[in-house]
Amino acid sequence: MATATLDSMLAGLAQDRATGSLKIGRAGTIFLTRGRVSYAECTGTPGVEELLTASGRISVGAVRKARQTATGESGPQSGGDLLVDAGVLTRGELEFCVLGATLDASYFLLGPALAAAADAGGARPAPKPRFRDGERHWLGTHWFFDVPGLFQECRRRKAQLDRAWPSSELDTRPVIPVRRIPGRHVVLTALQWEVLLGADTTATPAELAHRLGRPAYSTLLAVRELGAAGLLATGADHADQATPARPALPKRAERSGPRAELRPGPGADPAQPYLPQVSADPTDVKLLIRLRDALEALQ
Amino acid sequence: MDDTARELRVIGIEECLSEAMTIPGALDAILVDHTSGMAVAAEGVPYPEGSAAGLSEAFRATLDGLALSTPDGTIRIEDVIITTDRAYHLIKPMETMFDGPLLICLRLDPDRANLALALRRLQAISHRLIAS
Repeated sequence: MATATLDSMLAGLAQDRATGSLKIGRAGTIFLTRGRVSYAECTGTPGVEELLTASGRISVGAVRKARQTATGESGPQSGGDLLVDAGVLTRGELEFCVLGATLDASYFLLGPALAAAADAGGARPAPKPRFRDGERHWLGTHWFFDVPGLFQECRRRKAQLDRAWPSSELDTRPVIPVRRIPGRHVVLTALQWEVLLGADTTATPAELAHRLGRPAYSTLLAVRELGAAGLLATGADHADQATPARPALPKRAERSGPRAELRPGPGADPAQPYLPQVSADPTDVKLLIRLRDALEALQ
Repeated sequence: MDDTARELRVIGIEECLSEAMTIPGALDAILVDHTSGMAVAAEGVPYPEGSAAGLSEAFRATLDGLALSTPDGTIRIEDVIITTDRAYHLIKPMETMFDGPLLICLRLDPDRANLALALRRLQAISHRLIAS
């Protein structure tokens, strides 16, 4: 059974109409109900508990209580039904939350399997999944995905990420917004706003997702969109700083200090040929002042 | 069940779509996750994936365009109403607490539909699906 990959195992469980949990190493768990995926959790993505409590609508205590009641032997009701009956969320919200969390976790759990399939046998050491027959998630079953449909959706999401911004370089490094935008105004979505506000120059997209209580995929998409709009520092910017991009300027007299009435103007940056870039770098300002002085002297 | 009880009862995703299909003149209905452009559920839609992507794009373009043309720059859409030579299209965003919005999109037969009634019914259905 050394060849049992995640996708072949899931396909087999779907065919057997199995009910239980498939643990994928430390990465997470996929729950199946009669051969269809009813829930998935991944350590890298916020689960239903996090999504519900981060919104502020439901307290951590209410979720814990529902979980304890549901996992105890006493009640026949699932944790999800308990939350709906308590009136803290609607049936639709519960279903959408389960659906969203499952897709989010699946994207990161199944992603490596999809990539391996695309490599056509590119052997990458993956943990062997372990199936536990009959184990259910405490929330119960509220939405289903058939296994091929789930893989299909993961592929669609991958393609959507690549359409937004075809490079994965921003996916895992800290999110660093640029200090000045490469234009005069910018239109943001609600999530892009939250990402920019939450970015502390150390948190990665995955860490921001946990902090904001937003799905990791949505956060990643927002980060790539921000990157495409030129609002995030990219590897090119870091490289610019490492290599002496600016030619060393000859030293000049002290009198060419910055003047209050002079604003930093658009400079020609070879890295960004399309949009004017604004700089507050004192060296740039000094250069402009010297240019101005030289032009005035010509008159 | 009387009408008052029906107005108050919360519903799930499947029921939301079947109720939307009872609106006079309804041709098809689809629920779309706007962030990912995914078809969550559909009724009467021949190609849900394509419709979901297209409707999601139409909604995004409307948001972006109106944000630029609004004095304060922020925009909150209640309904998008598009009338074409063949149909009325209604797109209603529902804010969810963790992601979203979720779009409920309804296509109506212009000869049979009453636009005002359809908007009211869609509003009522959305409040029962998502309480926020």
